[in-house]
Amino acid sequence: MLGSTTIDKQDSQLRATALALCLLFLSACGANQVIVESRFPQPALDPIPMTVGVYFSEDFKTHTFVDKPEAETERGWVVETGAAQMSLWQTILNAMFEKVVYLEEAPSTETPNTEVQSVLIPTISDLQYAIPAHTNTKVFELWLKYDIALTDHTGDSLAEWSMTAYGKTPEAFMQSNQEAVGAAATVALRDAGANFAVNFPKVPAVSEWLQRARDGISSREATP
Amino acid sequence: MNTSKITQVICLTALTLLVQGCVTAKVDEMTYNPPEAGVGASSVVLLGRRHASNYDTERDFVQCVRSHIQGKDDTIEVIEESQFLDALYPWFEPRTAPMHPGAIRELLAQPAVASKIQELDTQYMIWIDGNTERTGASGSMTCGVGPTGAGCFGFGTWSDESNYEAVIWDFSNQAEVGRINTSTSGQSYMPAVVVPIPIIAPVQGTACDGIGEQLLQFLSAKY
Repeated sequence: MLGSTTIDKQDSQLRATALALCLLFLSACGANQVIVESRFPQPALDPIPMTVGVYFSEDFKTHTFVDKPEAETERGWVVETGAAQMSLWQTILNAMFEKVVYLEEAPSTETPNTEVQSVLIPTISDLQYAIPAHTNTKVFELWLKYDIALTDHTGDSLAEWSMTAYGKTPEAFMQSNQEAVGAAATVALRDAGANFAVNFPKVPAVSEWLQRARDGISSREATP
Repeated sequence: MNTSKITQVICLTALTLLVQGCVTAKVDEMTYNPPEAGVGASSVVLLGRRHASNYDTERDFVQCVRSHIQGKDDTIEVIEESQFLDALYPWFEPRTAPMHPGAIRELLAQPAVASKIQELDTQYMIWIDGNTERTGASGSMTCGVGPTGAGCFGFGTWSDESNYEAVIWDFSNQAEVGRINTSTSGQSYMPAVVVPIPIIAPVQGTACDGIGEQLLQFLSAKY
């Protein structure tokens, strides 16, 4: 009985060692994994007196950029930005509008949401990165491209536009490639938030929509 | 034993200081309406310009100038760059930062921004624009490890050049009240006979001291 317990223990120790070696082997040969930091400052914005709906697709919520290596000797990249994207957009939108309603489904004529008049739908259409090995410069860079749609509560388009964001970080001493790409992604996300918050009212179709909404509010207030 | 070690450390430090590379520095200054009694209880913020595509003003350079000012006059409150950028997000990001003092008026028209600025009690905003870059390098060095020991042999040299400009904006008058330029360059050497001996020219450090000293004269009542 005692002998079998010892053998079991040795067996489990061997298995644990083998597993650790396998993980070590896989981590050495696997892709560079980056999980982008997801804390952003509270924006200094005066909220637009409106209630908007926001729909984040599942792809947006779990957005992950995967880049397979071109050669067998190179390591690929897996950059997880989903959690950071959600954190950024929620922080920005909550500060930009008086009330934000997060929708579970995209607006459509079958499932219209009467709580909101308009719905914002951001999607990530592209992500590109450059590391010093690619460009021979001493910076890590990351580009993001978003497609933004503004619809009414039944899903009819009110405005559509694209927006880019860029982040770079210098090659720093004692900083791994993963940390540097993560830092560049955080800078790019901050830039995305700044770009959206500052330029949103300047998009011509959005500007018209905001004016119509303001006129609606003032005519409702004027009616006794 | 301890005394011997201390002596060694002192000798090494003295040697390092003695064999620093040479740096040439030029500082131009043009300021008007400096605060006669210093900035008083108000605060100052130093920000790096990062809108150019080919360079960014280094964060550690901005931090160096801040440390220089506060190290010599601790009555001046210099807000940390990241703290200011976070407090006023998204208005001072590389894409959105104001490029001329007149834009401050537009920013202050927004109640959320105005209240943050009032909270921080910022009197002067100082934009630092520029960078340090390696302009040339030559030489070669070979290092090896053998059963009897390790060593290097060769000679390397490189030159660095710094160009920075600090522009002072007065928040209350929304006007530019000063401009300081500094250009420094220096040659560093690394001879190696068994042990490499770096003779580093403190190019960026000299630029930091140059700008820091001029800003101190503008901001401090003591100078």
